[in-house]
Amino acid sequence: MSEVHINHVYKRFGDVTAVDDLSLLFKAGEFVSVLGPSGCGKTTLLRMLAGLETPSAGEISIGDKVVNDLPPGSRDIAMVFQTYALYPHMTVRGNIEYPLKKRRTPKAERAVKVKDAAELLQLEELLDRKPRQLSGGQQQRVALGRALVRDPAVFLLDEPLSNLDAKLRAHMRAELIQLHERIGKTMVYVTHDQLEAMTMSHRIAVLRFGVLQQFASPDEVYRKPANEFVAGFIGTPSMNFIAGEIDNSDGKLTFCGGGVALSVQAGLLPDGLIADGDKFLVKMGFRPEDIFIGDQGDDALVSVVEPTGHEVIVLIDLNGNEVVARVNPDVRLKAGDKVKLRFRPDKLHFFGTKEGIRLNV
Amino acid sequence: MSADTTAKLPWFRRSYRNFSLEEKYAVLGMILIAPTVMTFCAVIAYPLIAAIYLSFFSIYTPTMEGHWVGFSNYATLLQSGEFWRSLWNNIIWTVGTLTLQILFGILVAMMLHQNMVFRSLARSLVLFPYFLSTVVAVLVWKWLFNDLYGVLNHLFMWAGVIDMPVDWLGKMPNAMLSLIFVGAWKYFPFVVIAVLARLQSIPEELYEAAKIDGAGVFARFFDVTLPQLKDVLVVIILLRTIWDFKEFDLINLMTGGGPIIATQTLSLMVYKEAFALNQMGASSAVAVLMMLVMLVFMALYLRKAKGPSE
Ligand SMILES: Nc1ncnc2c1ncn2[C@@H]1O[C@H](COP(=O)(O)OP(=O)(O)OP(=O)(O)O)[C@@H](O)[C@H]1O
Ligand SMILES: [Mg+2]
Repeated sequence: MSEVHINHVYKRFGDVTAVDDLSLLFKAGEFVSVLGPSGCGKTTLLRMLAGLETPSAGEISIGDKVVNDLPPGSRDIAMVFQTYALYPHMTVRGNIEYPLKKRRTPKAERAVKVKDAAELLQLEELLDRKPRQLSGGQQQRVALGRALVRDPAVFLLDEPLSNLDAKLRAHMRAELIQLHERIGKTMVYVTHDQLEAMTMSHRIAVLRFGVLQQFASPDEVYRKPANEFVAGFIGTPSMNFIAGEIDNSDGKLTFCGGGVALSVQAGLLPDGLIADGDKFLVKMGFRPEDIFIGDQGDDALVSVVEPTGHEVIVLIDLNGNEVVARVNPDVRLKAGDKVKLRFRPDKLHFFGTKEGIRLNV
Repeated sequence: MSADTTAKLPWFRRSYRNFSLEEKYAVLGMILIAPTVMTFCAVIAYPLIAAIYLSFFSIYTPTMEGHWVGFSNYATLLQSGEFWRSLWNNIIWTVGTLTLQILFGILVAMMLHQNMVFRSLARSLVLFPYFLSTVVAVLVWKWLFNDLYGVLNHLFMWAGVIDMPVDWLGKMPNAMLSLIFVGAWKYFPFVVIAVLARLQSIPEELYEAAKIDGAGVFARFFDVTLPQLKDVLVVIILLRTIWDFKEFDLINLMTGGGPIIATQTLSLMVYKEAFALNQMGASSAVAVLMMLVMLVFMALYLRKAKGPSE
């Protein structure tokens, strides 16, 4: 169990900067997800932690050791690959045992450790099979087992569930959470699936183009996204945005844009952000669950209705802006209906127009 | 006659029109493989049977006249030292050159698999010996090996490795060693191509996983590369065993089996019996015995080629 300290790390591939001045501190025993769209540098970051890639600049420490110059085998880390990378000619037992063999663990001890790991991951029945005789989920567990027996300080997992079908993925998610609770090791979990990140992690590091956007708990990332990108990336369906401006007249803030005028609740924005009598260009964001369809509010037109079973996703045309709302399936709506929209006043997010920085307090 | 009753007649009593679709396909299939089958019979089955047949005769090659002698050709051969010596030479040559080919082939393939400068150039250059005509290659090597004018002796003397010119091809064990070496030089590119193709399909993650698991360079070779190469190596070894075992032109041109019969293999003996000693019958008997030895490898190869491993 160790801290992981990433200190101003860069990684360049020719012209591409895959990881750009990244600084992060993962606490010992923490489950951290690294989340971001495809190509944002998640795998590169993980591979640098593993020692499969050397940083172009910056320092990485695991525990209190700087590991920049340590080969992968000496870093006290274990990695689970997206493709599992099981040794095809070895049995499940051989695969799990391999890292121990390479570390010259005595045979008797190896047998005990393999047995323990197999028990933990329910692989006892499969120990004598070859990887190709296993299902995806079983292979995934073997890969975890191979990481587990080593008892490493840090686990690195690169989208380990992405090759599984939806049902198995949900199941493995729960298993991974339990596993982490039982062994309590630092885990770094790379994913582009926000559901995985939100459900499993203590904290989420959101990356974009190799740059850290936000590093916070799932709850905070969802409720206080640091910028427009995070706000739009986290949550399905994603947050709605309307461009407009806020003006301050006599200390009363009003948002105007997209054909609506809303008074902004006091305390939502920091005092003095907008001087009296001034205007400020912003983007207003609100989540699909934070709008109500009813008989009061702004006029809008239902354009598409997508029932998903437990809820209905409704696309609404609000004066030319497309707005997504999430409503109770008991509300009967159909395309073409004229409706009225209201916003939850305490759940409005405001972002600056230039960098998209969050303006809310 | 109704369709029902027609269908019950054996196929050769019905016209093509009344064949079921399956039978029509069968006919088409037979027509399509007929050319291959006929060619096969003409160039493989006939010579094979003829050789077996001839081996029971004592035949004077120029006139091709002779008389039935039963197994006496075989009896004479199996009692003669020359046959066993040739078989032994054949085994030494095959095992020696094949071992070198495999070792050298894997080594070069692994080098060419690395990121290095001029990789694609090197990859094509490596094939050069394999594409070179044997006659040309042998002529060049014979000059290199020449005891009086050869570059090899010259270089070795200059470097101080030897102080007298070495007779590379006229003495034992030099002659056999030289053969084995030139055979390896000529045929290792085959191993390189096959192994390189396989190397390129080994997922990089396996090596990365092994690195993380604490495997060093050698452990990665023995635990990841070699097991992955196993299947292709088995096929290469079987094929090359068959090909090296019956090698004729390279040996005949290099040493002609000499000194005396010190490097004579069974193929050379077949040739000598038939055209130098004019004993077509005895020659056929050697060929048949040689075929029996090769049949073992062939059976292994066919078994390997047919079923998947495990
Ligand atoms: N070996 C490499 N050579 C050149 N460019 C690379 C290399 N590896 C990664 N990159 C580039 O670095 C960037 C980050 O890649 P990375 O694999 O880390 O993305 P990722 O976040 O893991 O994406 P995904 O979700 O698709 O796996 C990409 O633009 C990629 O093209
Ligand atoms: Mg990736």
